[in-house]
Amino acid sequence: MSNERRGVGTDTVPGGTRLGWLFDPKLVGLAAVSLLIVVVGGIVQVSHGPFRMSYAEVWRSLTDQTVLFDIEVWKAFLLGHELPEMSRQNLVVWYMRLPRVVVGIFVGANLAVSGAIFQAVTRNELASPFILGVSSGAGAAILLTFVFLGGLTMYLPLIAAAGGALAFLTVYMIAWKNGTSPVRLVLAGVIVGTIFTSLQRGMFFFLQDIAVAKSARAWTVGSLIGTDWEEIRTVLPWSVLAVVLALAGSRQLNVLLLGKQTAKSLGMNVERVRFGLSSVGVLAASASIAVAGIVSFVGLIVPHMVRNIVGSDYKKLVVGCLFAGPALVVSADVGARLFFGMIGSRGQVPVGIVTGLVGGPYFLYLMRKQEALGNI
Amino acid sequence: MSEHTGTDDATPQSDGATVADWTEEATTETTTAAISELAGEELVLGYPNTDEPVLDGESMTATPGAVTALVGPNGSGKSTLLKGLANQLELTDGSVLLDGRDVQSLGTKEMAKKLGLLSQESTSPGSISVEELVFHGRYPHRGFFETVTDEDERAVDRAIDLAGVDHLRDRQVSSLSGGQKQLVWIAMVLAQETDVLLLDEPTTFLDLHHQLEVMEIIETLRDESDITVVVVLHDVEQAARLADRMVALKDGEIQARGTPEEVLTESMLADVFEIDAAVDRTERGPRVEPIRPRHDDDGAPDECRDHQPRMEADE
Repeated sequence: MSNERRGVGTDTVPGGTRLGWLFDPKLVGLAAVSLLIVVVGGIVQVSHGPFRMSYAEVWRSLTDQTVLFDIEVWKAFLLGHELPEMSRQNLVVWYMRLPRVVVGIFVGANLAVSGAIFQAVTRNELASPFILGVSSGAGAAILLTFVFLGGLTMYLPLIAAAGGALAFLTVYMIAWKNGTSPVRLVLAGVIVGTIFTSLQRGMFFFLQDIAVAKSARAWTVGSLIGTDWEEIRTVLPWSVLAVVLALAGSRQLNVLLLGKQTAKSLGMNVERVRFGLSSVGVLAASASIAVAGIVSFVGLIVPHMVRNIVGSDYKKLVVGCLFAGPALVVSADVGARLFFGMIGSRGQVPVGIVTGLVGGPYFLYLMRKQEALGNI
Repeated sequence: MSEHTGTDDATPQSDGATVADWTEEATTETTTAAISELAGEELVLGYPNTDEPVLDGESMTATPGAVTALVGPNGSGKSTLLKGLANQLELTDGSVLLDGRDVQSLGTKEMAKKLGLLSQESTSPGSISVEELVFHGRYPHRGFFETVTDEDERAVDRAIDLAGVDHLRDRQVSSLSGGQKQLVWIAMVLAQETDVLLLDEPTTFLDLHHQLEVMEIIETLRDESDITVVVVLHDVEQAARLADRMVALKDGEIQARGTPEEVLTESMLADVFEIDAAVDRTERGPRVEPIRPRHDDDGAPDECRDHQPRMEADE
């Protein structure tokens, strides 16, 4: 058996073996199922609203060639140009409702990749941007911008990243004493997170404008309601950057998993690599927080679920997270909408509430199941 | 190499070829690179959370191309010394010279190309195959975006052959026994293809078969290549059999150094290990028969032994 595999390895061209891991059946299966969930969830999400549409109508509109291949339309969407004329249905689907799904996709992918990175850097399965205080730090920074620096909303992702980085560095420095234990790290993260959450809440009292206060509130629990192409334009470049860097760094992440000592004896500058990769994690989390607020637990659950399916190889893990993260966020958003529609509530519940309700118990289940808490 | 058939399904012939491959490679390497010398000078080593240094101004040189064994009781500082030599611990004072160059001046990757370290406790992630783990040994030879080269593949094949884990190649590391895991980790360090190899208690916690496997690998390295090996061993007898030079430590001080015959004596065992023991010279090296622990109120080693009736019975 081993001979057979080695034969395959040596016969194929280097380029072929290089991406061979992508065709792992488990990874392909995960990607396919996730993709299906995103598509179905997206169609359901888009069909709901004051202007009710059937799923078939939504599908027709989504596959409408006049929109799909119209450069002017994409210029409007991605660069903020003037929107060309389009049918009422296309307008509702493409302009008003689809952004919510697309932002959900970006948010899910970013948070999942961010969580995966933090889990490798800290070698701790319980690490995630939410647990490590990154989310709260970024949140406090964004509220600060809302309240006092209204003119800087253009730079929200960067401001959020600064806040998230500050929180993460604080946690890291408190928890780090010749290495860290998962429990120390989580405790420090919870406490620093609480401080930043208090700062966030404190700033609510300085909000004069009711509308701003309302959007700030939705924002602190993580919401996709009312997102449009503006948010996509904000999140897109940072997401692409973070994902490319995460994929490029996946081999470093794999070596980090061997432990600090081994990584160091293999010639890795461990502190520098950790710092660099953490920055990528902070950037990814902050980009998503800047457009959707604090959607909790996605960064914790998704990498864990993907790891259970494809294993701990970070090349596969990061790719898996790119698919599974969006599947979770989009379906949770649909769940929020359908469930509260069912019980007759006219208001909508932010997606962060659903991920929190699902993710919290999952976290507890992890704690119960895992004997050695949290070590990857 | 041909003796071990227990867990290994490789045939003696293929193993023989293995050694030859390695030898060939090693000799071609030595024609280009000189045998490396590793020396620690006036080392003061400690841990950040303790005030007192573990080692206070000790020097040692690993004989080039030979196996040097560090022995000593628990807490004697032998692992600390090894970590210091490997530049894993920050030196409070002193310097480590690799071929005359201060290792502080070497880049981390440059260092890892010349010096490999097998740590005492190696943890592997949940799912990684043996081959993938061994490929990580090529880390220092690869750039950030570089992919696997033919040279990497050859080095990995050689390392896997030498460590005798070819039959485990596609297995998950987490599914292996402790002994098999250790061989795989050794294969990873071998894939680094360094001139100096430091091993921290590679045989501890292993069953006898795997202890001998590990010793055999080190013997092969000693006999067939010019790698300079420093190995921390718990078992003094094993150390004496394996090493060309021995260094005995106690309480952070080097108490004895020299050939196994010079170092492994009854008085050394009494001083350093605080045991009464009989040392026999056999053709397989010195044999140690531990008799009883010594306590602070015991007299000189010779006196005590006279009071030991068991001694005679055993002899």
